Amino acid sequence: MTLAPAPGPAGNAVATDSVASVVGLRIHFESKAGRVYAVDGVDFDIRDGETLGLVGETGCGKSVTARSFLRLVPMPPGIHAGGSVLFRPHQRCQHCSGAGCEVCEGTGRLPTSCSKCGGDGCPVCNGTGMETIDLSTLPEKNLREIRGDRIAMIFQDPAKALNPALTVRNQIAEVFYQHRTTDVLERAGLDTSPNPLLRRHVAQRSRLLERALLALPPLRSRRQKIEGVVDDMVAAALAETQIPNPIKVMERYPHELSGGMKQRVMIAQALACNPDLLIADEPTTALDVTVQARIIELIKQLQGRHKSAVLYISHDLSLVRRVCDRVAVMYAGRIVEVGTTEEIFANPLHPYTRGLLAAIPSRTHVRGQLVAIKGTVPELIEPPPSCRFVERCSYAVDVCAEIDPTLEGTEDGHEVACFIHNPPSVAAELPSFSRRTS
Amino acid sequence: MTATVEPAEAPGTSLHGEIAISVRDLHKHFPIREGALQRVAGHIRAIDGVSFDIRRGETVGLVGESGCGKTTLGRCVSGLTDPTVGGVYFDLSGQDHDRLDSILAVPEAARTEEMRRELETLETSHRVDRLGKQEWLRYRRNCQVVFQDAFASLNPRQLVREIVGRPLKVHKEASGDQLTERVVELLERVGMGRQHLYRYPHQFSGGQRQRLSIARAIALDPELIVLDEPTSALDVSVQAQILNLLNELQRELHLTFLFITHDLSVVRHMADRVVVMYLGKISERGTTGDIFDDARHPYTHALLRSSPDVDDDPEAALVTLEGSVPDPARPPQGCRFHTRCPVATPICGWEVDDVVRWLEDEPGMFDSLTDVARHDEFTAELHFSDEDAAGQLEAALSSEKVPVEAREALIELRRDGGTVQVSFQMVGEVELTERKPGHFAACVHERAPEAK
Amino acid sequence: MAVETRPLEPAAPFAGALRTRLRRFGEISREVLRNPTTLIGLILIAAMIGMAIFAPLLIEPNTPNPYQMPRDWGAINEPPGTPGHILGTTQQGGDVLYGVIWGARTSLRLSLIVVSITVVIGLVVGSLAGFLGGKIDEFLMRLVDVFLSIPELIFALAIAAVLGPSFGNIILALAAVFWVKYARIIRGQVIHIKQNEYVDAARVIGDSKLRIYMKDVLPNSVTPVVVQATLDMGNVVLIGATLSFIGLAEAGLAEWGVLVSQGQAGISAGRWWASTFPGLMVFLWALAFNLVGDGLRDILDPRTEAKR
Repeated sequence: MTLAPAPGPAGNAVATDSVASVVGLRIHFESKAGRVYAVDGVDFDIRDGETLGLVGETGCGKSVTARSFLRLVPMPPGIHAGGSVLFRPHQRCQHCSGAGCEVCEGTGRLPTSCSKCGGDGCPVCNGTGMETIDLSTLPEKNLREIRGDRIAMIFQDPAKALNPALTVRNQIAEVFYQHRTTDVLERAGLDTSPNPLLRRHVAQRSRLLERALLALPPLRSRRQKIEGVVDDMVAAALAETQIPNPIKVMERYPHELSGGMKQRVMIAQALACNPDLLIADEPTTALDVTVQARIIELIKQLQGRHKSAVLYISHDLSLVRRVCDRVAVMYAGRIVEVGTTEEIFANPLHPYTRGLLAAIPSRTHVRGQLVAIKGTVPELIEPPPSCRFVERCSYAVDVCAEIDPTLEGTEDGHEVACFIHNPPSVAAELPSFSRRTS
Repeated sequence: MTATVEPAEAPGTSLHGEIAISVRDLHKHFPIREGALQRVAGHIRAIDGVSFDIRRGETVGLVGESGCGKTTLGRCVSGLTDPTVGGVYFDLSGQDHDRLDSILAVPEAARTEEMRRELETLETSHRVDRLGKQEWLRYRRNCQVVFQDAFASLNPRQLVREIVGRPLKVHKEASGDQLTERVVELLERVGMGRQHLYRYPHQFSGGQRQRLSIARAIALDPELIVLDEPTSALDVSVQAQILNLLNELQRELHLTFLFITHDLSVVRHMADRVVVMYLGKISERGTTGDIFDDARHPYTHALLRSSPDVDDDPEAALVTLEGSVPDPARPPQGCRFHTRCPVATPICGWEVDDVVRWLEDEPGMFDSLTDVARHDEFTAELHFSDEDAAGQLEAALSSEKVPVEAREALIELRRDGGTVQVSFQMVGEVELTERKPGHFAACVHERAPEAK
Repeated sequence: MAVETRPLEPAAPFAGALRTRLRRFGEISREVLRNPTTLIGLILIAAMIGMAIFAPLLIEPNTPNPYQMPRDWGAINEPPGTPGHILGTTQQGGDVLYGVIWGARTSLRLSLIVVSITVVIGLVVGSLAGFLGGKIDEFLMRLVDVFLSIPELIFALAIAAVLGPSFGNIILALAAVFWVKYARIIRGQVIHIKQNEYVDAARVIGDSKLRIYMKDVLPNSVTPVVVQATLDMGNVVLIGATLSFIGLAEAGLAEWGVLVSQGQAGISAGRWWASTFPGLMVFLWALAFNLVGDGLRDILDPRTEAKR
């Protein structure tokens, strides 16, 4: 079942199915001071092929949300207190074996029909007919198959995210060994099933004796063929990120590379298996501005080619404006506003979003008169049942201190959690932008 | 290194206000030690000839990317590091300032005895790394620093009262209850209060810690504060609070700021004048308006157009720069930016190192390179173990693979078996030249054309 | 500009500072008590130190030098449980219980003296090397390397053997061996801390080098020293006991190692008590300090400190 792609907000053709949905996600942490409600009821969709920006300041929970996709949040002290992260994986396009063709629009991937209902719609797939998995409850073994293959992640500090003891080649090769075992064997011209020895070697599960056997002449030549195939695959992955002279870079160790190069290596590793979703956690924060520009352009190009969805975490609104199709603003563990990039910047609805935009120094600001949001981010320990932003809001009224607004849509996908736009269920005096209360 | 000093201000015109800081021909080199015996194998030229002034009451923004030397420059200005060559002079009157420049303009060998004595007097009272004891204390009272990482700049084992009150104690301004009251005053001035006196740094948020840092910096009512990326680690809303605070304090206390940052929107907001650095040298300087609306240097253009700005058109692509920052131990000849410049010309300093760099990017060729015999930076013989590789290089250097400007600068290209001889046109360093009053750029173009 | 925290009651200066520091000490103590192994170690230490301090009250010495084992030729080799000698007596008629209790006192003396000396020497050498750097640093560190290349036990043995058997010489031997550890630790810490921006901040304020050292560098370098000193309180006694076991202490000293050595001969004859009880004490002493030292190391780890 393929749906005709509808034009997305930025003019990219995106399917209206989401590749991932976060539903009511709650992740709390036990600390000495009490329970920290770091992520407390987060809902958003990531549409296929789009770049969704998740913005917020320190402590808003965006990093925890991103890491929960791949269950990278350490589970003590973290607690999965509720909600789910639904993922709709694609499968390799049969017609072109992943190389790209008309049917899959060059991406090499096709949506998968729901295994339970065969595409008709059922509770498991939420009626969408697409194969849906809950990442928060998936068994570890299955999750490992998805990590690096269907969902990939790149991190803020490439120096810390790359293994300093592995060459670039071995680092990227790991992905191919783990997830493309059959491919590798096929390309090496070897039997894919009967020889478990070689297969295990590729999947890096050889036992001690087997490793010794693999060093012997008859198996050695086959093993070298495998290494050769993997070399080519790694070089191709690196070349895609426009690294000059990939063959040379392959032999290097991470510490021999510049920050920008390391980030490219990380991107190459992430995109090696053509994932459905790429999660980028502040990938350019540690880089200089000129290097940052190159990496952003690279991510945009690669995304255009692979048509993967990107979840882009950042605190830098100016950057997000250039990279993302839609933006979700987080504050104190909740999403407070979601909308297209254009909408959010032209017409921010939530007082926090307005405050953030007004705080960025721009040409129009008079010196010394940046608009600062008063107060600080709350502690998130045993939060009161009020709006989380009430202490810092210039438009708050009584009802804001009593009830917590929920995220609701206003027009075409622009959602906001604020009583200024969505009146509460009880009758009460409503806040408005025309009335500053402090 | 030439004996002349780059003209910061032409002598005789500095009648406006007094000069808080004069940086004159500053160089800072760090030795690279190698081997078991720690021999000096070379020098990292972190600062390689920088001169500019900071006038009393103004904010000078110092921008550049990592490795440009701005942090080192900040440390030299604040006296934390001594320069290798050149000096930082503080609190010169207009007259002394002109006198200093005229003496420095004369090559050392040609200076008269009187000149030398005058210079020495000026240095003992004004040059930061040559101050007498009294003068040094006076400098310490008048020049303070706010660091980037507020957590690392506050002693984790001291209470706020001790941290903020320390300058008062060291300079014997107050003690006991009097000290406590002065500290409370300072805390209130930066938006904190008495209740914070007896807490440890780790009990505060990032923004509050930075306020403590600022409170400590203004304790002695200094003239100049060097701020090294004071808001880079802060969230944007906290940054707004801190920037507002800094502006307020500047007005109330008549402070002078040297504001070091990599964030162009912050510098545009805070600075009166801007100095742009690249690889240890100033590539452009002028007023904020000059730099942001009338940039003359291609690097400044690249910086401006790589930075995503809330104001500009989101659809317009970010301009990206090719290549990476060269090794600061072997800075490029001519203009240091020529290796990445989108509008480089034949006289921008093409040299042998560029050929080696191109070779590194071509698979195969670099491996057969056995030796590079240099006559100087511009002429050398490259020996290959494989004649084919030598032939390939010869062909590449005459082809489109190498920018046409570099080819024009190549005055000799000869192959002899496995050896290729290259010789580029020799050019000197590209100096800062004045484009408009107070607006200097170090570029051969009058006005750098927009890159495609 | 908004003040960001709720105002507390106005604090009197001395009380305020003192209260905060006490509160912090309380936090650390609570952390220590929360860890079961550390708690056990603390209890053991308290018991043994108590034994050491109150030794004269617990067992009256009947010889002019209380550190010598008493001899009672009438009560040789009595097994444990004999009236008047709960833990039995030795070959020379010495009360084993006496040896255990006064041995604790000896051990306390030994460890306190050695650890104090070595910490001070190590501090001076390490600080000079770390703070001044350059040639002084090189020279001092080569010296440390020389010392470190000799195994602790052998070195102590050699010194004690050369100087002759006596309690004082054991102290000297152990001090000579143990100081290098602290020099290394302190030097490493000083170099590391020097790079911190708060040291730069102190320089920019114009503070003197000495004051910067005392206020900024030293207090922040102290943590690993405290941990190592605690561990060494145990290790000193362990090695000291080994040395005296071999015979490098005065014969007849009320010291656990000596007792173990002297009681050895009787083991084959079935007289286990003269060696076992003192031996057990050595083990418990070393164990107790190691448990507490390890616990302290975890608690005082700068990473966990920052989180608090």
